[in-house]
Amino acid sequence: MSAQTDFRDRQFLAVIGDEDSVTGLLLAGIGHVTPPPDNQKNFLVVDNKTDNAAIEAAFDKFSTERKDIAIILINQHVADRIRHRIDTYTAAFPTVLEIPSKDHPYDPEKDSVLRRIRRLFGE
Amino acid sequence: MDPTDTELAEAAAAADADAQSAIDALLQRYLLLLDTYSTLRAELNQLQASLFQHLARANFVAANRGQRYGQDYYDQRMQAQRRTTLTQGGGGGGGGGVEGAPPVVMTVGVYPPPTAADGDDGDEKADSEENDQEERAAAPNPNPNPADPLRWFGILTPFPLRQAQGLAIQAVEEIIPRLANVSAEMAAVELEVRRARKRRAKAKKAEWKARWPLEERVGGAGFVA
Repeated sequence: MSAQTDFRDRQFLAVIGDEDSVTGLLLAGIGHVTPPPDNQKNFLVVDNKTDNAAIEAAFDKFSTERKDIAIILINQHVADRIRHRIDTYTAAFPTVLEIPSKDHPYDPEKDSVLRRIRRLFGE
Repeated sequence: MDPTDTELAEAAAAADADAQSAIDALLQRYLLLLDTYSTLRAELNQLQASLFQHLARANFVAANRGQRYGQDYYDQRMQAQRRTTLTQGGGGGGGGGVEGAPPVVMTVGVYPPPTAADGDDGDEKADSEENDQEERAAAPNPNPNPADPLRWFGILTPFPLRQAQGLAIQAVEEIIPRLANVSAEMAAVELEVRRARKRRAKAKKAEWKARWPLEERVGGAGFVA
């Protein structure tokens, strides 16, 4: 029920992805930086140098710490790097959606929603 | 009067059939949602592919000037122009939801909304018309539209970048919120299916206990005191 009560404050989309994915989505006007001194961004650009801990920290921040995020968009290949975290995430808000990137097309086998389906029918 | 074995068996079979048909109905609904999810996924993939193509084309042109449309140009004080709105109950489209609680429907729209004065309630309209005019005159829009993200990249941005923006807006406004809604509804139906299965298993167990009383079960194994 607590998940249902605080949903009205959730107004942003967050993105974790490669530079092109983030740039594309920010072009749509979803990027937001909170006022100083926090200056919290609702996006993370991931490249080869970004370590998994940083991705996980960003995911945790968007999914649990911040109460103003409604949807987390994450590149599927980035989600693969923190797959254990994504698969164990069960909260209603924010919703996590895996999106394709330029170099990694969408693979339904890896999608957390479709994995849930397999679990449901495999019972 | 104790019910006979056949009566018990018939009642149990009817209850089991009811439970099974309820589960089947839920699974049917789930498969329809899955179909919608897959369709939306395909649309999103297509949009994203075109978006990346346009972005690559824009970057190809910009490469001549040693420029790349990326994070170096992001405005560090950007404000979201498109935000989500979550409403409970909606009463139509998304439907479903967990038993008891109406579903939460997500939409993404321009922020601040273009004209707040358009859609007010009818009965208050006549009374507040004058007040509205006064308010509007007294307090000009406190939150003017934030800068268009295209401007981060310069005044004369290439056409492919504008095309990429158009596709991104389409994805964010039309596909992504619907995907999120369908995904949430699927999760709710999954929960209902699990509960229905559990209920059926419990009913079966209870029926089994009723048909074979404890003495018979224990006695058969030789545990009678």
